Amino acid sequence: MGCPAILAENLAKYFPPAKSGWRALAQPFAKQRIRALAGISFSVECGEAIALVGVNGAGKSTLLRLLATLLHPTSGHAQVCGVDVATKAALVRTKIGYDAGVEQSFYGRLTGRQNLRLFATLNGLSRQEFADRIERLSELLELSPFLDQQTRTCSTGMLRRLSLARALLHSPEVLLLDEPTRSLDSASAVAFRRYLKNEIIGRQRATLLFASHDISEVEELADRIILLHQGQLRMFGSPRALCAAAQNNGLEAAIRALTGAG
Amino acid sequence: MKRALRKLLTLFYRDLAIARGYRSAFVLEIFEALFAVATFYYLSRFIESPQLSRVLPQGRNYFAFVLIGFALFDYLGVALDSFDKMLEDALQNRVLEALLVTRTSLLTILSGSLLYPFLTAVLRTLIYLAWGVVLFGFSLSGANWLGAIIVLLVSVLAFSGLGILSASYLLLYKRGNPAKWILLGISALASGMMYPVSVLPGYLQFTARLLPITYSLDGMRAALLGGAGLLALRSEIMALLTFAAILIPLSFFVFSWALQRTRVTGTLTHI
Repeated sequence: MGCPAILAENLAKYFPPAKSGWRALAQPFAKQRIRALAGISFSVECGEAIALVGVNGAGKSTLLRLLATLLHPTSGHAQVCGVDVATKAALVRTKIGYDAGVEQSFYGRLTGRQNLRLFATLNGLSRQEFADRIERLSELLELSPFLDQQTRTCSTGMLRRLSLARALLHSPEVLLLDEPTRSLDSASAVAFRRYLKNEIIGRQRATLLFASHDISEVEELADRIILLHQGQLRMFGSPRALCAAAQNNGLEAAIRALTGAG
Repeated sequence: MKRALRKLLTLFYRDLAIARGYRSAFVLEIFEALFAVATFYYLSRFIESPQLSRVLPQGRNYFAFVLIGFALFDYLGVALDSFDKMLEDALQNRVLEALLVTRTSLLTILSGSLLYPFLTAVLRTLIYLAWGVVLFGFSLSGANWLGAIIVLLVSVLAFSGLGILSASYLLLYKRGNPAKWILLGISALASGMMYPVSVLPGYLQFTARLLPITYSLDGMRAALLGGAGLLALRSEIMALLTFAAILIPLSFFVFSWALQRTRVTGTLTHI
């Protein structure tokens, strides 16, 4: 049996408090005291779809950014496809597709196609590979009507689709998505989830870790759920296991019960 | 009227509150002004000097001297500005995270981002020189172009090291980059861009020897105005190569450390 697609062992992330004025000069050396994550341990197998669930500030985005090598863990370890995110970040980046869920993350004066070509090249795709992939993704995400438009003129929904296309362009082994279908209309969201489930997870056997507040999305996509609360892992299991633990039939109510949110 | 005034003041206080977070930028502006005033003081002293023609190297006129000074100084500005600008653009456009999770290192992205500004700087230099030749009788008839190109290339290498060091500061602190402004200010003052280093007091002449641009200016003027061959340019070229050999590895090390610190503090994508 191969190594897990994602592994976290006692992972913790603390941030230093923000400083201003002259004290800001010491910011890079400040003690990390504010807890974002602590004692997080879990293992995800290849081809699994895992939902990160929790209220705002629970640590979902921090966990995704740690795995995407944008943050350095304060303690503990995390691996993606057997590669340590702290010590071999460059190698981890060859395996992941990450979308931060921020729409305005393109060069506004470039068209969608030019932006995507730039990121495809930086991810090592050849011209032909880019042409093939963009054709397929255009079809799926309905990019064609605005692909050759400067991104500063694109709507939030259009940018969201471009953003998802960017994460998928290089066919990563592990997809890390922060609220993937936020800002998409319901039809596009349904189509995208179907694509993730059938094509990315089903056919390509990629692993998906996504943060979401949309319970229907979690129910549709997730094999298992990581429930975070105040930076700690409250529970990791199947939707059914969560419901059983909360002695509740509905997932939303179960999550509320397990996080003490009423 | 009162309400409109209140709105204007609220906007002013907003900017003041933001600026309070970057107090070092304000202090730097004070020093920047000092460098500018000192530069003009030494320029006026030079121009008023009865021995002006004697202190000019290569027996050329002041126009030729200062034209090359300005043209070459542009490259230092480009090296120091381009990395900062790339980072600032990426932060403002919120593209930095997306760039950082690609399979390309940030140093490669920064280096690639230097190509366009340097090419435009080359074009600007050619335009400077062309205007000088066409309109103002600037002569390049005896120029050693090979020597000039080699001096330019090794200068760019040395300047790039400074640029990466400067970007490291920006990565850590986001604004008010003193490394850049101090270096640009001291270089404008002491390197001999607008007047020969020989008109400066001793301590500034010593400072000039610690700046790569001083050797670039000496070498470029010798190649373009004096037609100096590679043998005559060897001391400037060697000095610039030494700067590059020290600054490039040092800047890579410092930049990698700064990047790592921002990953620890979580300030990588803060604006």
